[in-house]
Amino acid sequence: MYRYAKLRNRVTRTFGMGADEVAADPFIADLVAALSPDRVKSDGAHRALLSHDASVFDGGNSGPVVFPETTAEVAAVMAAAQTHGRNVVPRGAGTGLAGGAIPLGVPVVVAVTKMDEIHEIDTDNGIAWVGPGVVNLDLTKRLGPLGYHFAPDPSSQQVCTIGGNVANNSGGPHCLAYGVTNAHILAMEVVLPSGEVVMLGGLDAEPAGYDLRGAFVGSEGTLGITTKIAVRITKNRPEVRTLLLSFDSVTDAANTVSGVIAAGIVPAAMEVMDQRITVAVENYVNAGYPRDAAAVLLAEVDGLAAGVDLDAERIAEIGRENGATNVKLAGSDEERALLWKGRKTAFGAIAQLAPDYYLHDTVVPRSKLAEVLQQTYDIAERHDLVIMNVFHAGDGNLHPLILFDARDEGVLERVHAAGAEIITASLDAGGVLSGEHGIGVEKQKFMDRMFSSDDLDHQNRLRQAFDPGCRTNPGKVIPTGHSCADIQSLRSIPKEVWA
Amino acid sequence: MDLKLGADELNTCVQCGLCLPHCPTYRVTGDETMSPRGRIKLMREVQLEDAPVTDEVIDAFATCVQCRGCEPACPSGVPYGHLMEQTRETLADAGQMTPVWLRAAMKPLSQPKLLAAGTAALGVAKKVGLVPDRLGLGAADIPLRQEPLPTTGTDVYLFTGCVMDTMQRDVHRAGLDVLTAAGFGVTPTGAEAPCCGALQAHAGLTDETRGLAEKMMRSLEPERPIIVDSAGCGAAMKEYGHLLGTEEARVFSGRVFDIQEFLADHVDKLPTVEPLDLRVAVQDPCHLRHVQRVHEATRVVLRPFVRELVELDDDGLCCGAGGAYSILQPELAGQIRERKLGSIDRATPDVVASANPGCSLHLGAAGVDTIHPMELVAKAIRT
Ligand SMILES: Cc1cc2nc3c(=O)[nH]c(=O)nc-3n(C[C@H](O)[C@H](O)[C@H](O)COP(=O)(O)OP(=O)(O)OC[C@H]3O[C@@H](n4cnc5c(N)ncnc54)[C@H](O)[C@@H]3O)c2cc1C
Ligand code: SF4
Ligand code: SF4
Repeated sequence: MYRYAKLRNRVTRTFGMGADEVAADPFIADLVAALSPDRVKSDGAHRALLSHDASVFDGGNSGPVVFPETTAEVAAVMAAAQTHGRNVVPRGAGTGLAGGAIPLGVPVVVAVTKMDEIHEIDTDNGIAWVGPGVVNLDLTKRLGPLGYHFAPDPSSQQVCTIGGNVANNSGGPHCLAYGVTNAHILAMEVVLPSGEVVMLGGLDAEPAGYDLRGAFVGSEGTLGITTKIAVRITKNRPEVRTLLLSFDSVTDAANTVSGVIAAGIVPAAMEVMDQRITVAVENYVNAGYPRDAAAVLLAEVDGLAAGVDLDAERIAEIGRENGATNVKLAGSDEERALLWKGRKTAFGAIAQLAPDYYLHDTVVPRSKLAEVLQQTYDIAERHDLVIMNVFHAGDGNLHPLILFDARDEGVLERVHAAGAEIITASLDAGGVLSGEHGIGVEKQKFMDRMFSSDDLDHQNRLRQAFDPGCRTNPGKVIPTGHSCADIQSLRSIPKEVWA
Repeated sequence: MDLKLGADELNTCVQCGLCLPHCPTYRVTGDETMSPRGRIKLMREVQLEDAPVTDEVIDAFATCVQCRGCEPACPSGVPYGHLMEQTRETLADAGQMTPVWLRAAMKPLSQPKLLAAGTAALGVAKKVGLVPDRLGLGAADIPLRQEPLPTTGTDVYLFTGCVMDTMQRDVHRAGLDVLTAAGFGVTPTGAEAPCCGALQAHAGLTDETRGLAEKMMRSLEPERPIIVDSAGCGAAMKEYGHLLGTEEARVFSGRVFDIQEFLADHVDKLPTVEPLDLRVAVQDPCHLRHVQRVHEATRVVLRPFVRELVELDDDGLCCGAGGAYSILQPELAGQIRERKLGSIDRATPDVVASANPGCSLHLGAAGVDTIHPMELVAKAIRT
């Protein structure tokens, strides 16, 4: 992944230079006045690192980096950016996979990682108020002793922030039963691009007026910066059963998933991994995943004891009907935790197999799962690439993962071509562009396959209602021709700006 | 500049960020330059892109505690510890890291007489209030005089090291008693094997470390298991194989056991006694948990001898001691310790068991009651 980035963009130009220019920049002076000198960084090391996230995309160019601690400080940064006509990009943990946090147009990068306070936990009403920098899993850990958790559980939950979850409307294995982030956000304090602070949504069941909260969730940092979030907290499940089913083919696994849903069972999670990825995962966690199965299905049901046992039995049965070669029930909490650890670190474990990977994210109707999966293998073969599949099977969310070594001549072109074909195949099957990673810079160019020209113009109007100057995370989501930003020029560095 | 990092080792990182929450410096700063992912990327910038080694780059490397919490957290198996040691070695050789005074300060560690004199002097200095608080030694007891350790047989060596020997001879005594109670005859290594080289390795003084490793290997009888009661020393000695790259060194490393690790296989040989009436929180030293990865053993050995064992809720995040770290980076070390203190508070223990002298000193300086697990076991057996 790294060299891939390097091939197209050399970050060195921003490195360790321009100290005098920086000192003389009145924008920096205002930022320092608004925060404190130690929380405004404009050195090359900071700017080089914050020009990237966990995606394979680059072309980012970070301006100064700020670490605010309060809403007032975020508002002051926004106001300063407004005054100086500079762009702003919010950033959480930088684990985004669609390039959402990659700074275009030499913006000030607002890292909200220090706003990591859990302000209030109200179990009576099932609500917690948190800072945007609170790490997803930290909240769940804090809620544990109270008998609650935060339901959205992206595989990156040990590190990603709730602010990032909101911005990307992130999902996770257990969102099958509980819904993605959007279903768990009640209200948000938001700093608008003007510096004004507003509250979107509310704690009442039916807040009055338009659902601007809903517009903000999934806005990928283009509508403003959220500084405080009221999340719904979910009661821990009384009983859980976790099944591991092995299959001789990925198709059998996919058919089992369709069968389970058709039988009217709503499992908490259903995840499929193919053989290559299962072996990599097992090498890392030693959780007892079979190395010889063509695919495994990790299925989990929760609820009251009697119900979960029945559901678990039914799922095992449906699995066997569809050719499961082995069905195993996790015997203990430790075993269950280990199986999930394996699933959740699957992408990272890939590095054992190849130095670079490109992880895709599309959604197809469940009934088309088996078909589209087969297409991904065919596409990869045509392009002489290795592909693996790991996916949230329950909601048809595919994560085809292409392995490559960027040192191979011409491999990038093939990787991109295969990626485009996978997206096309998913859309042709009646699917959508992204299940959970967002559009960012990754899928902009495919937006017009999903939306009409009018749709896109309206989306841009909504965006400009929040951000008339088009300065907050410019150049993301909405494609060229419809975007308020001149995406081409954002990638070059304006003369008047040091960088 | 060529940091002399292996291209493949450097390339295994896929920049996923899963290591971030396990890094103490990222945890307290939220700053990517103080994270494993960021540091690895800076290594790449410097080595592959010839980015200048600016103050900020040095700072990013110098603030790493080398706790290696990022290693077990990394699903790609990035050998972070090796990368950072090599980076520091290259930068130290180029005179860009590890100042002369620090090199000088490490000299006495490998020369027992000097060290004994040094610690005695420190002890006196402390008594009269001369030691500045920033050394973090505030609450630690620095003994002024020491009784020598007896030899009880030749089944195993007990490594007594440098800092440990003079400052924590009680720990060795406890370890010796427990090993003996389990039926092993123990030979303390004493001046024969004065220093493991851990602190030198952390500072990037690799030649010195190699010299110390070779000296140690020469001076100890072959085949006998070498038992170590300091997690940092044990980790360093288990790395000799990698450090020297010889078969002999690998065999030597294979003989090194942490004392808890060794005893976990022999708990049944220890006498059955009344457990101590204590609620004990286990604080896993990084070099036991992340490097040697044998921290479960501490629980196995302690469980029969205390009323209650409790876990801290921070997934083994570093306490900030890190060899000389608490002296070199007092501010960050303090912030990291604050986090650990919160976790200890929530566990409400009577005492904290820690198998590393550095951690004990660092936590002790903040008023935490710490004790080596072996001292607890020894106490239970003696009473
Ligand atoms: C190994 C791995 C596994 C993953 N698994 C999943 C998964 O299972 N499901 C899933 O959905 N995603 C997954 N992701 C993607 C990623 O973790 C999520 O998108 C996550 O929510 C991003 O959070 P972050 O804090 O890292 O945000 P960042 O990457 O820092 O930012 C993401 C976007 O949010 C914006 N943003 C950040 N903070 C704010 C704020 N306070 N206000 C407004 N905008 C803001 C940024 O501008 C950017 O557009 C995975 C990533 C990795 C590396
Ligand atoms: S060191 Fe490992 S966990 Fe950390 S970013 Fe690199 S690959 Fe991911
Ligand atoms: S060794 Fe410790 S301090 Fe250094 S990067 Fe890894 S986790 Fe962070």
